[in-house]
Order: sequence, then C-alpha cells, then structure tokens
Amino acid sequence: MRLFAVGVSHRTTPIELRERVDFARAGVAPALAGLAARNVVREMVVLSTCNRAEIYAAADSDDAVEGVVAFFSEYHQVEAAQLCEHLCIRHGADAARHLFRVAAGLDSLVVGEPQILGQVKTAYAAAGDAHYTGSLLNRLFHTAFAAGKRVRSETGLGEGAISVSYAAIALARKIFGELKGLRVVVLGSGEMAKLTGVHLRAQGVENITIASRTRSAAERAAAHIQAQVVDWAGRDEAMLRADILVTATGAPEVVLTRGQVARVMRARRERPLFIIDIAVPRDVDAGAANIEQVFLYNIDDLQGIVHDNLARRTAELALADAIVEEETHRFVSWMQSRDVIPTVVALRQRFEAIRRAELSRLNHKLSGLPPEALAQVDHVTKLIVEKLLLTPTEQLKAVSDDGLAASYSDALNRLFSLEDAPAGPVEEPQSLPRRRAGSLPGDPS
Amino acid sequence: MRLLPLLFYSAAAAAYGAHFAWRNVRVGRLATALLGGGLLSHTFLIGMQTVQAGHAPLVGTTAAVSAFVWVLGLAYLYIELSSDERSMGVFVAPLLVALGAIPALDPGLTARPAVLQSPLFTIHVVSMLFAYASFALACVLGITYVLLFKEIKEKDLGVFYARLPSLGVLDVMNGRAVAVGWIFLTVGIVIGGIWAAQVQHSPDPRAQAMSIADPKILIALVCWGVYSFALYARRAIGWSGRRAAWMSAIGFAIVLLNFLPVGYFLTKSHNF
Repeated sequence: MRLFAVGVSHRTTPIELRERVDFARAGVAPALAGLAARNVVREMVVLSTCNRAEIYAAADSDDAVEGVVAFFSEYHQVEAAQLCEHLCIRHGADAARHLFRVAAGLDSLVVGEPQILGQVKTAYAAAGDAHYTGSLLNRLFHTAFAAGKRVRSETGLGEGAISVSYAAIALARKIFGELKGLRVVVLGSGEMAKLTGVHLRAQGVENITIASRTRSAAERAAAHIQAQVVDWAGRDEAMLRADILVTATGAPEVVLTRGQVARVMRARRERPLFIIDIAVPRDVDAGAANIEQVFLYNIDDLQGIVHDNLARRTAELALADAIVEEETHRFVSWMQSRDVIPTVVALRQRFEAIRRAELSRLNHKLSGLPPEALAQVDHVTKLIVEKLLLTPTEQLKAVSDDGLAASYSDALNRLFSLEDAPAGPVEEPQSLPRRRAGSLPGDPS
Repeated sequence: MRLLPLLFYSAAAAAYGAHFAWRNVRVGRLATALLGGGLLSHTFLIGMQTVQAGHAPLVGTTAAVSAFVWVLGLAYLYIELSSDERSMGVFVAPLLVALGAIPALDPGLTARPAVLQSPLFTIHVVSMLFAYASFALACVLGITYVLLFKEIKEKDLGVFYARLPSLGVLDVMNGRAVAVGWIFLTVGIVIGGIWAAQVQHSPDPRAQAMSIADPKILIALVCWGVYSFALYARRAIGWSGRRAAWMSAIGFAIVLLNFLPVGYFLTKSHNF
C-alpha cells in the first residue's frame, strides 16, 4: 500500500487560489464521496483549513496520485496547470512527516498555534465516520495526534501569548486565576478600548464598566461590548471594585497619577489591581507600578512579552522537529514492517507445511508412541520452526529502506518458492515468543 | 529498611527537579510514584516501629521529625493529586529529604516514659504535627508566591511564570494552609496545656519543667501569635499576597527553629 499527500498550503499558494480550493466551504463529506466515487484510492482523509487544503490517501500504487490531482482540479474547477504550479505532492515518509508537522503546529502560519490539532482530528473523524479510513491512515493519524500532543507537552512551542491582547489576558490569568468572575473597568471609548473589551468578553469576563470623558461615546462603546457605563467623575469609585483596569483614553496627559492609584489601593485594602495601559501617550503614571499589589503593564511591556515568546518558540523548533522525526521514523518502520508481512506469513506457511509433511511421513514410525509423547513431538517441532523463523522475521521487519525490503522479500520468495506455498491459517508473526536461545518449554533448564 | 524512605524521597526530589526543569509529563508521574513509594515505605517503617514499641513512635524529637515528614508528604501528595499541580514538588521534596535524613541516620526510638502515657499527649503531638505540616505547605506556597510576584511585578516573565499556578490560587491556598495550621496549633497548645497541668506533680523533672519559661513552649506561643496575627491581618487589614507570603515564611522559620535546635538542645520540658 502506498501513502501520499496532495495539497496546497499558505507556504506555497496565494490566498486567491487557496480560496478556490477550499473543501470546507461545501463541507468535506461531498469531497470525500466524490473522490471515493472515482475509485482511485483505498483510504482517504481531506484536511481543509483557512491555510491549507490537503488530501491524505493510501492506494495500491503511486499512479493513484494522478487521479487525486485530477480530482483536486476538477472538483474545484481550477485548471490543472495552474493548480500543479502550487500543488505539493509527498510520498511515504515525507507525507507522514508533513502531517505530523501540521498536527504539531509546525507548519502553521503562527508556529505552535494549538487549533490545528483539533482541525486534524475533525478531518480524520469525518473520514473515519464515513468509513474512508483503513489501517494505514488510522495509524498515520493516531501517530499524528500523539506527535502533536508530545510537541505541546514536551516543548515550549505552544507557550506564551503571541499577540498583545492575549499577552494581557495570559497575565490576568496568572495574577487572578479564573477570569470569569473578575470586574473590569475600561477608561476610554476608542477603538482600542472597544477591542480590548471584546477580547475580555470572549474570555468569559462578564462585568465590564466603561468610563469616558464623553458619556455618549462611552454608551456607544458599551453597547458594542454589552458593558455598563459610569460618568468620568465616578471612575475612582468604579476602580475600587475593579480587578483589571484598562486605560485607552487618547488623552495627551496622564489621567491617573501615582497618588490617585495609591488612594484607590488603600481604599481597596490592597486587593491586587492589574492595570493595562494601552494608550500612547501613556494614561497612567509609571510610578504607580511601585505600589504594592499594582501590576502595571503598558503597550511596550506587552509587546516585549510577545517578542520574547516568539523568540522562545523559535528556540523550541529544533526540539519539536526532533519529536516529529522520531514519530516519523516509528511510523515508517511500522509501515515497512506491514509491507513485508505477506512475505513473512508465506514463509511461515511454507515452513509449517514442511513440518506437517515430515510428521505425516513419519506417522507410521511414531504411531506406537503414547499420546503425551506425540504431543511433545508436535510441540518441539513447532518450536524449532518458530526459532528458525524468529531472527529472519525480525531482520526483515527492521529493514528501513523500501528498496532493500522489496529485494529481501523477492529473494525469500525465490529461495523458498513462496508463490507455491499452500495457503493455511498461520498465526501473526508478531506473536512469536521471544525465548532465551537454547531453552525450550519443558526443558530441564 | 530505615534508609528506604529517604532513598525514595531523594529520588522523588531529583525527579521533581527534572520535571520542573523540563516539564516532561512522564518524569512528573515518575516523581509522584517515587514520592508514593517513599510514603508507603515510611508507613511500613512507622507501623513496624509501632508494633515493636507497642505504641506510636512519637516520643522524642527525632521520632516527631519522622512523623512530621510522613504527615507533610501525605498532605502534599493529597494536594498534588487533588489539584493535578506538580510544580510545588520541587520545593516540598527537598524538605522531606533534609528532615527525613535525621531519623534515617538515627531513629532515636526511646521507651515511652510513664508521664507520656496519657491520650492527651498523643492528641497534643498529632495536632502539632498537622499544624507544622500545614505551616510547611503555607511556607512553600508563600515562597512560590513571592517568586512569581517578583517576575510579574518586574515584567521579567520566566521560569516561575511558565510553571507555577496563578498568584490568586497560591494566595488562597496559602490562606487556607495557615488557617488549618492555626486550628491544629491552637488545639495542640490547649491540649498540651491541659496535659501539662495534669502531670505537673509527676516526679519526672521534664514534666515539672513544663512552663512558659521553657523555650520550646515559649516559642510555640510566639508561633501561635505570629500565625494569629497573619490571619487577623489578612482579614482585617487586607494583608494578603506578598505580605501574607512573607508572614508564613517567617512563621515556618520559627517553627523549624523550635522543632530542631530548641527541641534538641535547649528545652528542658520536651527532651524525651
């Protein structure tokens, strides 16, 4: 069985073309059904996100790739020549490695973003539910999930906010824990104030109060984010109850002095206050940062965090790549061992046939033995066959080169005339018992 | 056999350190398993000593240290398993190793004098051990709070920011640990006082030395004062956060001072 992946991504394809080949627009189910109807592949998964449209498939031969490319072009009504300029076709280990990188967020626009793993799972579930996956893609995708999880848990790739808003939200979580019950006061009613309110609301903050010098502007902003409004004069009182204070007024001078913040803090009995000053010029006197239990971050501080996080993520890439390589190697080994299994089974059938033939040839000589001794002879001959086959089986399954594995299989077929081997029920070679050399069950040793 | 818990605790400390550094889930589970192994072998050891002596091994400072390590380990393991938060292990496990080394080197098991045969003595010691374990956890929570606070306040987000739970969680847990410890400490001191009054006329000179002038008793009362103030300040003055964290660190430093140097060298009333 041959594994391959055909698709486009943000790395190779401009957005104009990505929009045209988006499988998700009409749902992946029709795409899966359409490809299945062509009968070119045995297993398939369609992965479609805003940054990629890819088909992972398993077929009997590499010729199936052409059929998938033709489907890609015809399904989306894009000229094959135009599509082929951007299309990436990956085979075997490369296809597996690519999927593992995708699942781990290494191929994402924002490296390390976590949503992609969920999207890969959804794509796999859609194909699996419709019975378009088999043992090869099942194993491939489960290994991809494992690789994605390992990269998240064993590296710092997904850590640290990489946008100013999320840096502020992550800080708030680190100061207070849960955001849900927190009270937020926003000073200002401009776009930045509204945007911050929207972000906080999306994170589950329910209690947002807006104060602005212009009451009508505050009311408009409040309607946008379902917040309450207080007069500018009432801001100090609102701050008494706040956990987070966002300042984005656009005023040319400081609107909150150190003294004002200190007074508020005394009245709050030193309850922690997280001040996010996203205004330029700054709204809050920098000296307020020295007050106990005040955590003051301005726009530069937040951008500094984002910058550090991006640098840290880059530093983790090598570690994440190593995990992907390890999982790729493991998967490819499994895939290759799977390719040689028919040869191994045929070899075992051949040996078993010889064993049975020899036992039946000696039947007249052994017929005088008691049943226990006959069973022992049967058992010992089986063990001899197993021991003879153990090392060749392991060696064959361990071959990591496709060509070499095919040569070995071919050699075994010729040497033992496996094509002529009689078919019969023979247990999976994986179940061969591993015993100490020279010891047999029932041996006195 | 008596070295086995220490070996487990040491291995757990190393594994917690590795987990803190690399945040590998498997190493974290290994650390928990090693700590569990240490506590299991410690339980077995305490059980054996109980069977051997015919009473719980609580007589003498060394035996009390051993029991303290056991209670602290159990309390930490309970918190870790119930909160699925392993980052404190790197601070607690070295404490278990440092204190666990004392009974491992010399178990210091002594016969129980007649004066200690009252159930009040057992209640007193068990209450004090629970109090000390709570204060140890409060101290660890306080130290981690201060480390994380410093990073956030100074805008230098690093090791602790990436690993520790939020300041809010650490502060709440610190407050609870101090409150639980204070209740046990109060019970321990009150029961100890009643028991001391009962044995005042015993011929044992140590029983006669049970007075507020004895450094062990005096410092225990100072501890009670410090933690009472910490609780009052948190509720009445709003001393939570960093101030509460420092208070619990100072409180536990006094506990350790009373437990080890005073317990071994200075007390005339608690040197059984």
